[in-house]
Amino acid sequence: MLTFRSILFTAIAIGLAVFTFWATRLYIIDAAPVKVMTAIEERIAKAAGGWNSCFHNQSYGPRYNSARRANPDSIISSMAYDLTQGPVRVSGETWPSYWSLSLYQQNSDNFFVVNDRQLTGSNFDFILALDSQNTLKLDGTVVISPTEKGIMLVRRFASNETDMQGILDNQESMTCAPIDN
Amino acid sequence: MKTNSRWILYVAGVLVVMALSALLSWKITVASIRDQNYIFDTFKKTNSIWLYSEKLGSQAASDIERARVAISGPLALSSKEALYFVALVGNNGDRLNSSCDYEVTGNAYDSRWWSITLYDSGTQHYVKNRINRSSWNNVSIPKLVDGGWKILVASEPSTKTELAWLPSQESPEQAFELMMRFYNPSQSLRNAVPNIDLPRIERMAC
Repeated sequence: MLTFRSILFTAIAIGLAVFTFWATRLYIIDAAPVKVMTAIEERIAKAAGGWNSCFHNQSYGPRYNSARRANPDSIISSMAYDLTQGPVRVSGETWPSYWSLSLYQQNSDNFFVVNDRQLTGSNFDFILALDSQNTLKLDGTVVISPTEKGIMLVRRFASNETDMQGILDNQESMTCAPIDN
Repeated sequence: MKTNSRWILYVAGVLVVMALSALLSWKITVASIRDQNYIFDTFKKTNSIWLYSEKLGSQAASDIERARVAISGPLALSSKEALYFVALVGNNGDRLNSSCDYEVTGNAYDSRWWSITLYDSGTQHYVKNRINRSSWNNVSIPKLVDGGWKILVASEPSTKTELAWLPSQESPEQAFELMMRFYNPSQSLRNAVPNIDLPRIERMAC
């Protein structure tokens, strides 16, 4: 026979089950992008020899160890950045058939992108910094990152394999490094 | 003593219910952000078979859209810089799969550069193949006289036509998808979004 107490406990159990279900769901959805970004950052930093250093893909065509649904026509330079010790400079030359520099904050949002046609000249010089950091005396275009860590990508369009030598030379001209105080 | 035992039982019951609920939520939620059957759920339909989202990489994306993109195609450019379209079915409405051959016909798009890429829907990665090709782009793709193009998407190249080949999986019945990317599209192309005259995907033989 159903008693008030048994109905009450059943209702509490259902309420807790629904609450737990939604709390878990919200946590997973919120945490997933950060977890993915952290994994990619660690992979880039390992390949580049550390945080705030460039890693250059140097082969043309599909790379089977790349991120899901990567673009095989884009030759990428990447950097996992960590601004806790100060701003980081990224500079070099653009690539004529298509070049863009994009920045991703820790929740994976693409908060900044610029392409070669939006720049004056064929050189670029960007400083990644936190809003709280003093960049007034630094040369270069300052970009404020919403998060301490994130990822920078430079994309260069390679129409076919014959573009690769030029792209490798272009990669050589690129630097990614913390700014010495 | 009897009251204490009863309370322990109640608390244990509540913990079991919460643990089961969390486990169920974990399974359903992870599937909804990772499984090939759901990841394009929030993409919009166009006037053709292609799906579109203007929120890839965008700060305007909802939490679930952001999670799906982070897992299934991280580090996408925002629509300010690039447009992405995906096709899961051919023009007959059937799921694209490696048991069938398809002719894909498109135009010369007014975009700084564009590409069409094939991904295995199961692994969400490139398909390994003997010619190391997963895409064609606006420079590499062979053009027709009118500036348009036609390629063959199949597990094997054709012996009957000279169409450029984009390899699908060698194993039969494997689902795949095609993705169109437009980098720096012209304003007129942007104005037509999402109803750009995107490629037709005709099933030829299975």
